[in-house]
Amino acid sequence: MSSSAVEPPETPDLVCQLDNVQGMVDALSSVRWKRHQDAVVELSQHGIVLIVEESRCLQAKVYLQRELFIQYEYSAQGWPRFGVSLGLFVDCLNTFSVPGHSSTIEIQYPGPDMQLLLKSLDSVNACIYAEIRTRIPDMVSWDYNFEPSGNTPLTFTVKSAALKEAIDDLEWPGSSIQIVLQPAPPSVTFRGEGHGDLQIDFMYYANTDLLIAFHCDQQVSYRYKYKFLRATTSNLPSSVIKDNRGSKLTIGRGGMLKVQHLVSVARPSASHSHIDSAGHQQPSRIAYIEFFLKPEEDEATGND
Amino acid sequence: MKFKAFLTDNGVSLLEKRFLPALDKMGRTCHLYLTRDHAIFLHNLLNGDGVQCIAQFRKEALFDDYRISSQNDDRIAFAIDLSLLQRALRSVIAIYAEFSGSHSGASVSNRLQIKLVKKLPPHSQQPTPFLTFETKGYKSAVVQDVPISKPLSRSDVLELQAALEIAQDLPRTLVQVPDMNQLQNFVDRMKHVGDLLNVSITKYGDLHLQISTTLITLGAEFRKLSVIGEQSEIPVGERDLSAQSRTQKAVERGDAMTVQVSVKHFAKSLQCHLAKPDCAFYGIAAQGACLTVIFQFFIPGTRQRDKSISLHCRLPVLDPGAS
Repeated sequence: MSSSAVEPPETPDLVCQLDNVQGMVDALSSVRWKRHQDAVVELSQHGIVLIVEESRCLQAKVYLQRELFIQYEYSAQGWPRFGVSLGLFVDCLNTFSVPGHSSTIEIQYPGPDMQLLLKSLDSVNACIYAEIRTRIPDMVSWDYNFEPSGNTPLTFTVKSAALKEAIDDLEWPGSSIQIVLQPAPPSVTFRGEGHGDLQIDFMYYANTDLLIAFHCDQQVSYRYKYKFLRATTSNLPSSVIKDNRGSKLTIGRGGMLKVQHLVSVARPSASHSHIDSAGHQQPSRIAYIEFFLKPEEDEATGND
Repeated sequence: MKFKAFLTDNGVSLLEKRFLPALDKMGRTCHLYLTRDHAIFLHNLLNGDGVQCIAQFRKEALFDDYRISSQNDDRIAFAIDLSLLQRALRSVIAIYAEFSGSHSGASVSNRLQIKLVKKLPPHSQQPTPFLTFETKGYKSAVVQDVPISKPLSRSDVLELQAALEIAQDLPRTLVQVPDMNQLQNFVDRMKHVGDLLNVSITKYGDLHLQISTTLITLGAEFRKLSVIGEQSEIPVGERDLSAQSRTQKAVERGDAMTVQVSVKHFAKSLQCHLAKPDCAFYGIAAQGACLTVIFQFFIPGTRQRDKSISLHCRLPVLDPGAS
């Protein structure tokens, strides 16, 4: 926590500047799966982390590393945390984003009344500003410590678009979705049973363009609530699909599912020139999104 | 009661491409008020709430051979559905353009007539008023009847005329909006954050918009805009103040006025840019009675104001003291 909440500190804990607001809007929107969500923001010298949580079953984190910002002045003692309404934060940031322009904003915390302060820096004679009220975070973070399930990580990387499409299709059977990883033949299966049965198989050798990487030395099978699984891709920004990115899914100890996406926060004008020959953007211009999803508890058929 | 005129090509393009799309966004129905010299589209002038919008054309801007007569000092007013009007006009234009296209350069003249008629609609015994468009194409002719309300009574027309005169009052200070698209884009996004918008205008050309709720304050300040009307000097030493404190000081000095309007109304008034005005001005009426937006049109190819066309909106002010 910050040193004192009564007297506003002389120097703010954080003053940073970002030259691509839309990228930040995209990154934060990807963890926005419903209208009203409380988020906890943690500040450090490494960057900003925003955490949302639901029903002690699902947690999502957005990592905005300091390299994403054109300026990042961190002066806090300790690790300031504050609560904020995610929807309001995103809607507010969105007003700073001008289509076709790369807008630069300054973010400051805290303001005189512990607010989160935003202002545009694009023009001397036109200024957009915002003060968002913050809360003392009341979320007792359930321990989402993610541990590998064995010696080899159980993981696969799939094209984000294909993952989203598969999960969207599973809406029809709904309720509970079984994810099966098996080494022989190497494949990932999503199976939904409810109003009907639907099974989607990603065969590693058959779909190398969709299933980009696959590591599994033992068959595992866990069930996840559809609504939580859906939250991991429901608001995937269009830039992720356009950039043809992959999402990495890992199953950890106890069936905890980790879903990772990459969202570009590069300046729109520079986004093409910065793609290197391998088609990858500079890692410094990427926001990392992570979801942690607990399996349904009645599932006893973990490992073989 | 008679009205008959021919729409000019310029009038057709003004209405079809610019004004009707804009006016349709202001509200589906409006009054069309025809006088000896003007055709005026009026939104919300006879009922109190909502954005008032007034688009006034001198008859030459839209018509030639304009004939109007009524026992009420040659004034006719009625309510009309703008989307129907738009559809009818489009259909007529399609045929009209076909003819004009096939006779380019020829001396044969084609005209697009607009008139007020009373007809017996199918399956009805009661004659109903219509605004009718007529033209002919190369092989076909077309008649489009747009149903309209019964013409307004003498007292209603008088009331409309009185409301129109009141609505012509100009605010003392008007500031020019630099970029309508930018402003619209901003306000469209702002709508998600709150419902009430504080608008402050200073005599030295600052326009300050702000939404403030218990959870958030979101604002935009545009400075050094051009000013029409009452002006004052930009105060020195306020450059480093926040937008809020600058505005507060200006209000205290009597250099600024602030009103609160609905964000929805404000966004709606910005839809007028579909009429492709050349510039827009905001001003606050005396005693903060309303927020006025005035759109100006230039004579094509010049920077001179086209006085035959005028468009402005008046946004009702919500009383912040009432809550």
